[in-house]
Amino acid sequence: MSQLRPAWSAAFATDALQTLHPIPGLDDLTPEWAWGSSTGAGVKVAIIDSGIDADHPAVGGVQGYVQIGGTPEALTYDESPHGDAYGHGNACAGIIRSLAPECELYSVKVLGAGLTGKGIHFAAGLRWAIEAGMDVCNLSLGSTKQDFFGILHELADLAYFRHIPLVVAANNLPAPSFPSTYAAVVSVAAHDVPDPERFYYNPDPPVEFGAHGIDVRVAWQGGSWITATGNSFATPHIAGIVARILTKHPGLTVFQLKTILRALAANVARVGV
Amino acid sequence: MSAGAEDGALAEARATIAQQAEEIERLRRRLGEERLAEELRDALSLAGTAAVIAAPVSHTRLLELIVETAAAVIGARAGALFLIDEAAQELIFEVAIGPKAAEVKKFRVPLGHGIAGLVAVSGQPMAVSDASNDPRQAADIARDVGYAPGSILAVPLVAEERVIGVLELLDKEGAASFSPDDIATLGLFAQQAGVAVEQSGTRRRLAGLLSGVLGGLGDRTASPSDLQDRAGAFADGVEVDPAYEDALSLASLVQEIASQGDRERMACRALLEGFAGYLRTRPTAGSWGTGLGEAR
Repeated sequence: MSQLRPAWSAAFATDALQTLHPIPGLDDLTPEWAWGSSTGAGVKVAIIDSGIDADHPAVGGVQGYVQIGGTPEALTYDESPHGDAYGHGNACAGIIRSLAPECELYSVKVLGAGLTGKGIHFAAGLRWAIEAGMDVCNLSLGSTKQDFFGILHELADLAYFRHIPLVVAANNLPAPSFPSTYAAVVSVAAHDVPDPERFYYNPDPPVEFGAHGIDVRVAWQGGSWITATGNSFATPHIAGIVARILTKHPGLTVFQLKTILRALAANVARVGV
Repeated sequence: MSAGAEDGALAEARATIAQQAEEIERLRRRLGEERLAEELRDALSLAGTAAVIAAPVSHTRLLELIVETAAAVIGARAGALFLIDEAAQELIFEVAIGPKAAEVKKFRVPLGHGIAGLVAVSGQPMAVSDASNDPRQAADIARDVGYAPGSILAVPLVAEERVIGVLELLDKEGAASFSPDDIATLGLFAQQAGVAVEQSGTRRRLAGLLSGVLGGLGDRTASPSDLQDRAGAFADGVEVDPAYEDALSLASLVQEIASQGDRERMACRALLEGFAGYLRTRPTAGSWGTGLGEAR
C-alpha cells in the first residue's frame, strides 16, 4: 500500500528525490557570478521572427533554420537556409550576438511577406523551438488576437516546464499581446539608457523587465544598419544576457532565472554596491 | 543707465518677446489642432452613419484628415497612409501630405517591403531615426513617395483585431527622432482612425454595390450571377449588420424584378430614378423622419 500515492507525487518519493545544486544567497549574487566572462557558448538561441541574413556582419553566422509555411491543416517546416524578409530578425540576432558572441543562433521564420496564417505559423514556430531543444527563445513579436490566447498560453507553459525561457517583447501599444502577458514568460519593454547590459525590474507587472530599446543602432536588411525604437529591440538584450547566464549555469529553471535577473537589476539597491 | 544695465534690460526684453512668440505659437498650434480635431470628429461621425451613402471622395478626404491630424498633433513634416489589400497581399498607397505630396500617384507595393510592410505584418509600431543616412535603406516605401526622410514613425491601423493599413509620419519637427510618447499617442490615434476607415470603406463598398446593381439595369449583358457575385463579395466584407442586410435585400429585390424581362426592368429603373430625383431635390439631407414632412 505504500506504493499508492496521489497523482503527480512520484517525483517526491524519498528514493526518487533529486539532489540539486544550491544557488548563492540573493545578496551574494553578482553580475560576475551570473554571466561574467561568459560568451554564451553552447547555448541554443531561437529567434522567432522574420528570418536572419547569415552574412550580415552583425549576425556572424546562423547555426540552424526553419521556415514555417502552409495551411493550418498542412503546415510546412522548411529547414533550408533563408534570409530576412524585413531586417527585424537581423536586428534581434545582431543584438544577441553582440552580447553572447559564441551562442548558437537558430532562425525560426514565421513572419514573411504576407498576412495569411501568420498567427498559426507563429504558434507552430514556437512549438518547433520548444520541441527542437532550444535553450532560450527570443520573441520580439506577439499576437493581440484572442483566437491565439489559448494555444500560446499552452506553449508558454510547456516551455516553462521544460526550463526554456521565452523572452518576449511587450506590445508597443497599450493593449495586451500574447504571450507577453503570461506569468510563465520573461516579458520586456524598453528604456533609453544606451547600455546593453543595463536592465531594470518592474515590481508592478505584467511587464517585468526593461532593457535598452530606444534609439538602438541595429542590423537591418541587405547588410545595412538603422537606429530604431521599440520593445522588439529591448527583448534581445535580455535574451543575450540569459544566454550568457545559461552557459555558466546550465539547467536553471525559468523561476531561478527570473530571480537572478531580479536580483541583478540596475534599480535594485544592492548591499555594498 | 550704465551700459551693463542697458544690456540686461535688452536681454530681458528679448527674452520676453521670445517667450510671447513661443506662447502664440503654442496657442496657434492648439487652435489648429482643435480645428483639425473638430473636422476629423465630424468626418468620423459621418462615417459612423451607415445610412448615408456618400461619394468616394469623402472617403479619400477622411484618409487625408487622418494623416493631416496626425502630422499636426505629433509634429511631422510629411505623412502617408496605406491600406492593405488582403487578397493581393499588397499595400495600397492612398494619400500623402508634405513637400512631395502633389507628385505622388496611387500605387501598390507587396507587403514584404520596408518599414510600412513590417508594421502591417507584425501589427507593431516602429520608429526609425536615421533613415536617410544609409543608402541601402532605399528599399523603404518612404523612398517610393519621392521623399528621403530623416526619421520615420509607422503605426498600424487596426479594426476588429485586424490590421487594415499603416499610418506613417516622416521627419519629426524639431528633433532627430520620434519619441516613445509619440509612438504611444499615434498608436492610440491610429486605433480610432482604423475604426473610422473601416466604417467608411464599408459604406463605400455599399455605394459601389448599389450603383453596380442600378447600372446593371440598363445593361442587357450583365448577368444576374454578376450581381450575385458582387453582393456576395460585399457581404463577405461586412459583419452581420441590420443596416446592410436591408441594403442587400433591396439589391436582391431589384435584381429579381430586372430578371423578369425588359419591360419590368425599365419600369423598375424609371421608378427608382424618379424617387432618387425627388430625394435629390429635397431641401435637407436629413433622416426620413424629419426630411419628408418639411416644405419650404
